[in-house]
Amino acid sequence: MNNPSYHLNKALHHSPAAQLVSAGSPVETLKKAREDLVADFLEGKVSFSFQEEYSEIMDYYFRMTLQESRAGEALFRKGIPFALVAVGGYGRNELCLYSDIDILILFNKNIPPQAKALAEEIFYPLWDIGMELGYGVRTVKDCLSLSKDDFEVLTSLIDIRFICGDSPLYLKLAEEFQKKVIRKSASSFVKWLYELNKVRMTTFGDASHLLEPNLKEGIGGLRDYHHILWMAKAFLDVKEPEELEQLAKFSPDEYKDLKDCVRFIHLVRNHLHQLSGRKNDRLVFEYQEKIARRLGYRNQPKFPAVEQFLGRLHSGMESVKTLHRSFLSIHAPQRRRDTGNTTDREVSGGIHMSDNELNFASNSLIINDPCIMMEIFEAGCRLGLPLSLEARRQVKKFSYLVDDDFMRSQRAFRAFLNIMNDPNTVDTLDQMFETGFLDAYIPEFGAIRDRVQFDAYHIFPVGRHVLETVANLKSLPKEKDLFLFETFADIKNSEHLFLAGLFHDIGKSGKGHARRGAQIARAILERMGYPENWIEEIAFHITHHLLLAETATRRDLDDEKIIIHTARIIGDIDRLKALYLLTWADSKATGPRAWNEWAANLVQDLFFKTLHILESGELATPDSSQTISRLKARLRRRTAENISHVDFERLFDLMPTRYKLSTASADIIRHMEMVLRFKEEVSRGDAIPFILDVKEDKTGGFWQVSFVGRDRPGLFSDIAGVMALNSINILSSNIYTWRNGDAVDIFYVTKPLDRLHPHATWEKVESLLKGAFSGKISLAQRLAQKAEPSVLTEAGKPRHPPAVVIDNHSSDFFTIIEVFASDRIGLLYLITHTLFELELDIRIAKIGMKGDQTADVFYVRDLEGQKVEDEGRVNEIKNSLLYQLSGDKQPLRPDQIASG
Amino acid sequence: MKKIEAIIKSFKLDDVKEGLNSIGVKGLTVSEVKGFGRQRGHKEIYRGAEYQVDFVPKIKIEVVMEDKLVAEAVKLIREKAMTGQIGDGKIFIIPVDEVIRIRTGEKGEDAI
Repeated sequence: MNNPSYHLNKALHHSPAAQLVSAGSPVETLKKAREDLVADFLEGKVSFSFQEEYSEIMDYYFRMTLQESRAGEALFRKGIPFALVAVGGYGRNELCLYSDIDILILFNKNIPPQAKALAEEIFYPLWDIGMELGYGVRTVKDCLSLSKDDFEVLTSLIDIRFICGDSPLYLKLAEEFQKKVIRKSASSFVKWLYELNKVRMTTFGDASHLLEPNLKEGIGGLRDYHHILWMAKAFLDVKEPEELEQLAKFSPDEYKDLKDCVRFIHLVRNHLHQLSGRKNDRLVFEYQEKIARRLGYRNQPKFPAVEQFLGRLHSGMESVKTLHRSFLSIHAPQRRRDTGNTTDREVSGGIHMSDNELNFASNSLIINDPCIMMEIFEAGCRLGLPLSLEARRQVKKFSYLVDDDFMRSQRAFRAFLNIMNDPNTVDTLDQMFETGFLDAYIPEFGAIRDRVQFDAYHIFPVGRHVLETVANLKSLPKEKDLFLFETFADIKNSEHLFLAGLFHDIGKSGKGHARRGAQIARAILERMGYPENWIEEIAFHITHHLLLAETATRRDLDDEKIIIHTARIIGDIDRLKALYLLTWADSKATGPRAWNEWAANLVQDLFFKTLHILESGELATPDSSQTISRLKARLRRRTAENISHVDFERLFDLMPTRYKLSTASADIIRHMEMVLRFKEEVSRGDAIPFILDVKEDKTGGFWQVSFVGRDRPGLFSDIAGVMALNSINILSSNIYTWRNGDAVDIFYVTKPLDRLHPHATWEKVESLLKGAFSGKISLAQRLAQKAEPSVLTEAGKPRHPPAVVIDNHSSDFFTIIEVFASDRIGLLYLITHTLFELELDIRIAKIGMKGDQTADVFYVRDLEGQKVEDEGRVNEIKNSLLYQLSGDKQPLRPDQIASG
Repeated sequence: MKKIEAIIKSFKLDDVKEGLNSIGVKGLTVSEVKGFGRQRGHKEIYRGAEYQVDFVPKIKIEVVMEDKLVAEAVKLIREKAMTGQIGDGKIFIIPVDEVIRIRTGEKGEDAI
């Protein structure tokens, strides 16, 4: 009975293993079967069943090998029982293309000397064809004691499955494992899972893991599903996943949802393995578009295939996460918060509380009065209690009852507003989001919740992003940053702000989402019966939710016209404050690249300048001649000791007005000293063509670099090139020419890479600048070398075509050129060099982000100091920039020329 | 194919090893090495006398992989081995002409 071939019959009934009996040695058979399976998979003949078929092929290999094994035969003759047992993912029949094959050779009491030969016969051929094995040769006792100490071993044994050999031996292990390990360690095992989960949340919850999710370990990945299975096996005696439905009390819909999502993730994972050619669970950018195409997603207008695919994947992982979380909360021991409040009592009409969770009194209640679904959320929010799993199921099931009358119901709307204004909004919104109730109540929200933007900038799908934004706004009363805290305290009606936060991206399904969003939100709020003048207020915030961020990062904030323009749009102080908070909450919820110290500083600067205008009125802005004379007096006082009266007068006259009006006094004093030193060194005949002065701004996380030297065309692009060579990014700059022809330039730049020795980098910058100015160094060539594609270049980052926008309206004195392009080494050099060749004089530059492109904004004039308004010249600028930016220098496509 | 040689702080070995495992690197060689870099060793005082410690003990990892893994591996090693202090080490990437598995005679990427 112990003959291994006895068990072979089972496999032969199945395909494709059944067709492959005669393909030579077991490993040849395996190789062929695996190749065929992959071919079928790529042709779409096999999709969801891949894992099972592959597991079957492996089973077949092990049976065949054992049948032919000499060591196996020797053991058999001697009557030493042993068994091949699949564990881990293989035990679950869940083998993806490059999964490890986890296998155990099991003996009863002792490991006989023949074990080594047996293992070699079975495992070597697998290694030779490049398969990864997780293997063990153990006795039953070893397995039990190991799994008591090491829960990793326990988790692999929990998914144990018999392949071939002595089945009583296998059954002995399975029984004893259940009796001696699982029953005894169950609670400490669950604690360990909890800890593991926490670690996973911190490791895989960050931005990069949301952009490139890990299908296995990531939040909502296959691990969540495994945890459910393990706990069900440990506590509920579930043997097969199919039993989850009855024993683990999943509803049929939930079980189906879980199964569908897991199947989908497996499918994606197999494609990912196949494309990567190795075990790889991280869905990197490189493969996202390819997999989307393979899964049959097609580009639609304004909705690329890859975004459809990522939306589906995110919503699937979101479901798995939700099911995992509710499963934990229901089945884990000691799950209850011990408030001693376990008695069932009614909290309001038809809503009961027991075990610190809320329930409906009955199903019929919901059918007769659907509005109670909103009220249970309201009650949960007010009391800080979650809905029970059962109640969530009911909400899900009866969401279809939310009809037009419901959406217009004042009772429901009042409850909804109470939720929005409660301190617990976020938890409740989360439950409304997860149960799909929010989509039912606000169908417009359902249309955007799973939208994903395929870039390296937006880390959340839109629905999640919106919830994060609301969460940020809701955290303001506890905010440590005093400025934010006080600004929030000043807001007259925070309800508007919360609603604006909830609806700010509701138009996100195409271009101009802010304006569209305002229209959609208007319709929603009108339906709900919100007062007309308040709707206008919220629509205003939605329309302008990007105003502060875009103006701050792309416009010259020292230009009064810009500030006045902003102030005119906003109109009053309360609105400005609310808009500032919305900008902060929105940017922070977008991703780390959208909100950093630099951007925060700029937006705050704009906020204060606009606030000043709004407080004192446009006409109250001080006359610039008065400002200048006050500045002069202040500077004189502060420089009295170091700079002679004659020098001071002369230097002050040299400064251009724009410089005087937009430079901080401390910086002006430093520049005066630098100009004096420069003059002295030039007159001494020292070969110093410039002076560089660097200063770290510790709070802002950036450096300020001041440059004084003879002005000459192309200076900016040389400096940009040298910075790029040292991996320093310019964030913004102000370029001035004093009346004696000296260039006084201020650059704000990122920190040098070497935080421990920043000055070594600055010395290098200085010597490279000298080389570049004297023509000893070709920057173009060095940059090209630095940018040369290397093995380290990350492939497949989403790229968008470059665009150029030329604006002659926003400033009275300058033409504003905005260039949007994917970032790369030397980009700024390339652009500024092109502008130099076009005989344009750059006066102000601001480098920001728009999506995952850089947005480089230049205030330029022609060499006569005039704006560039001639249409032919404007087109020439646009076209030459686009030509330079299209990496391959192909002739431009018409749509590129038309863009902007 | 490339060989990555990484000099790292000894106590970072486990982290780096685990990291490389997670992206499917199939094997690596580790040696204990001594050397100095920018910090030029350091001075140590022992029983009142000052000794110049010229060489600092480090761990060297050598691992061969196909080209397309290199970017990720390097990113990972940096992530795992970084403390932000002096002496975090270096990573070298060296082209490999050929790999031969001794037991089977397989060559190229099959033999890695």
